Amino acid sequence: MLVKFNLNGLDVEYIIKPGEYLLDTLRANGVKSVKKGCDGSACGVCTVLLDDKPVLSCSVLTAKVEGHRVTTVEAIQEEAAALADCFSKEGADQCGYCNAAFALAVHALKQENPNPTDEEIKDYLVGNLCRCTGYQAQQKAIKAYLGGKK
Amino acid sequence: MKAKSFQRVSSVEEAYKLVKESPRNKIVAGGLWLKKGNAEVETLIDLSNLGLDKIEDKKEFVEVGAMVTLRQFEQSKLVPVMAREAVKAVMGPAFRNVATIGGSVYGKFGFSDVVCGLLGYKVELEFYPEGKISLIEYVKKPGFYDGILTHVRIYKEDLKAFFKKVGITALDYPIVNVAVTKGKEYRIAVGSRPLVAFRAEKAEAYLNEGGKDFAKAAELVVEELKFGDSISNKGEYKKQLALTYVRRGLEEVNK
Repeated sequence: MLVKFNLNGLDVEYIIKPGEYLLDTLRANGVKSVKKGCDGSACGVCTVLLDDKPVLSCSVLTAKVEGHRVTTVEAIQEEAAALADCFSKEGADQCGYCNAAFALAVHALKQENPNPTDEEIKDYLVGNLCRCTGYQAQQKAIKAYLGGKK
Repeated sequence: MKAKSFQRVSSVEEAYKLVKESPRNKIVAGGLWLKKGNAEVETLIDLSNLGLDKIEDKKEFVEVGAMVTLRQFEQSKLVPVMAREAVKAVMGPAFRNVATIGGSVYGKFGFSDVVCGLLGYKVELEFYPEGKISLIEYVKKPGFYDGILTHVRIYKEDLKAFFKKVGITALDYPIVNVAVTKGKEYRIAVGSRPLVAFRAEKAEAYLNEGGKDFAKAAELVVEELKFGDSISNKGEYKKQLALTYVRRGLEEVNK
């Protein structure tokens, strides 16, 4: 079947299977920044923004995205670069596999709640797993990023 | 999950007609649980166009459309606080932006924090074409309705409420979940036993008749409700947790 939606500001049309999930559609069409980790709605590395809200693309049927807006890290490069600087200053960066999803989640958090408390940052990032680090450095980096942008 | 076609319906009647046509035509709510199985679906029925994504104040109750996401629900000031807390206990925001109230309630999953929290309130479900049924009757009833769950109504009451999900991390299934409310009457629900949350009617009756011993009420809860082993936890452990958290919940709502 044919599906039409807006991907990073461009209207796109893809031929998909009716039971296909967004993660597979995006990767099949070259958007490899969206990672396939658990493929079971737990790890969060497949996070994209759907109408500006973070969703697990492994668990969103592509057909349901018809007429909506999908954002991947390619569309928020400036913000992602600024966050990456904060990550490197805090040593929060190791393999980088989860970074694109983190950047999207933090970007969405900033839109929704520009001055989050520590607890609100933690709550927002439940489900964005990082298997290299212990989250302390990320927490500091995210605070620095949000603070720096005020 | 494999599917042969996908249809965004324009009326509840149309969805119901498709459901009745074949047991292999399935309603998509968020689409999360469908993915878990190896179901071979004929037609996926999408309810996104039916305006079921609203939370409305209807004086006596708050009416929640079945396609409202868990995230919308937890962020709505119309929804009572403990019900929001229970929903917030489910995974992370990116999960809750996909999962729906309708899918969570219809499926009456054993692990459901959503159902457990809602059982603390007077909640009514609206199905097409079956009509109204209380949440408590729906969870007790074996099996599912054929029809479409369209709305979940939470009646407004003045009550004190407690909710606890016991889990190893935020992303784990609950080992047990407990909801306790005290308004005109007590309500106690315990879920993930590993079966879906049930109300503990004997303990409620004891308290409603003036019983004051919370430890005894908790004993009545674990005597009445069945606890069994799940993959990672023994039923006996779940029972001990329920004993503690029901008692703490009762203390909390009596502060």
